[in-house]
Amino acid sequence: MGERIMIEIQNVSIIRDEKRVLSNFSGQIQLRQATLISGPNGAGKSSLVSAIAGVLAPASGGIRINNQDPYAVSAPHLARLRSVAPQRRNFVLAFTVDEVLNFVPKSLRASNAEPFIHALGLDELKQKKVTELSIGQQQRVSLGLALTQDAEFYLLDEPFDAQDAHYQAQIVELISELKKSKGVLVVSHNTDALHPYFDQEIVLS
Amino acid sequence: MTRKIGAPLLLVILAVLLFFLSLQFGVIHLHTSALSLIGKGGSVDAATVWDVRFPRALGAVVIGAAMAIAGALAQGIFRNPLAEPTLIGLTSGATLGTIIGIATGFAGYGSGRNCLTATLGVAAAALITQVLAPNKNFGFLLTGIALASIFTSISGLIISISHQAGIQSLSFWNFGSLSLINFSTVRVITPFIAVGIAIAFFIARGMNLWSLGETNAYFLGINIRKFRLLAILAIALLIGPSVSAVGSIAFLGLLVPHVVRLILGPDHRNLILLSGILGSIVLLIADFLARAAFQPHEVPLGLLTSLLGAPVLIFLLRSRRSQWVSE
Repeated sequence: MGERIMIEIQNVSIIRDEKRVLSNFSGQIQLRQATLISGPNGAGKSSLVSAIAGVLAPASGGIRINNQDPYAVSAPHLARLRSVAPQRRNFVLAFTVDEVLNFVPKSLRASNAEPFIHALGLDELKQKKVTELSIGQQQRVSLGLALTQDAEFYLLDEPFDAQDAHYQAQIVELISELKKSKGVLVVSHNTDALHPYFDQEIVLS
Repeated sequence: MTRKIGAPLLLVILAVLLFFLSLQFGVIHLHTSALSLIGKGGSVDAATVWDVRFPRALGAVVIGAAMAIAGALAQGIFRNPLAEPTLIGLTSGATLGTIIGIATGFAGYGSGRNCLTATLGVAAAALITQVLAPNKNFGFLLTGIALASIFTSISGLIISISHQAGIQSLSFWNFGSLSLINFSTVRVITPFIAVGIAIAFFIARGMNLWSLGETNAYFLGINIRKFRLLAILAIALLIGPSVSAVGSIAFLGLLVPHVVRLILGPDHRNLILLSGILGSIVLLIADFLARAAFQPHEVPLGLLTSLLGAPVLIFLLRSRRSQWVSE
């Protein structure tokens, strides 16, 4: 079996704020698939994403992205392996949306992000200050920023959360498009309508 | 777009005018135009212009730029609109470093060694603040303020008991003045500051990402520890040598970046360039006023920047127009 491109999670336990939020979890996330992580609040969904993203080291167990340890590779290298859209980003400075979408360094920039930016309705927001946007709009900017980064895997934490039906549909569409060449991991607590669009669901309890 | 070219251009012209004004006017009245003295020596007028006013104006340009850029970097790296080097103890760290250097006999005033001890003082202050500050609302700021008074007190103690010649009075270090600056000081501090400015431009783009928080910067490929150290090194190289030469000049680093953000927005690439130019301008004006406004007395110019800057701080605390929103 040759080198398969995937994220491997082996017996991972995560402790956050002195509480065990995930115990001995194992799983695989494949390239060219959309994986849904669901479960109730406090099930450790976001913690698992943080652990894969390289910012919350597991208390035990191991994570590999393309056979590489996210805690051992350099930050720029890791940025090529995974791109992250966290649940919230704190925009403290009054950058325009256009400026934020240009944050990604040229060496890391995805060449085909324009359609995604368009689908997220960010074209008409480009000259707006990001600090003056609604939560939902900010979330779409955050998503847009993650999609302008060229990586193997995209980790999207609650991307549907503050969106109306129109943009939820747009994001679902975008994930289907993205997974043609990338791996997509989506965390959502509200998954009823989403199942048909995902290849795999991991339910955390 | 026109703003992005027009504003720097306008400010550069203003800086040149002010520079000339600083050569022309002062306590001693010139009999001719300073311009007519270019390339000439011998007379009292020429000596006044070239040996006294010229290095002093040059010092104002270099140090004004350094302190304003350091302010922009400090606000950016600590993600705090009030993280002004004087307020959070970095300047006091520089003062302490300078005074330890002088008092121990390791470095004379205005020497390269003095720049070095001052730079180390800033870096140490920044790292100590970072380590000790609790991660709460005003934790960082208050820790910085507390450390600032500790550093200032220790400096005062050392000055009081030191017999070392050339150790200036406490008020010099606390209220800053360009009166001691000469060609040799400018020559010594400029290379340090030039390196600091170069690093500032090098990390400007990363500072934009950094504004989203460390974790987000890491998501986008920034090595957090290296980046923070680089920023602190730049701040230290900008503040340390400046303070070692002229003492602490308050509020320049607070005032200038905020004004620039209001005009051009928060992009650090513009912010650093424009803060540098505007910092030079503000310090040229402040020094001019310090020399000319209360003749025959010269007042410490740090008093003037405080009088100008502190109200701005109060305004910023009350205003929503500062280009920052709280987290």
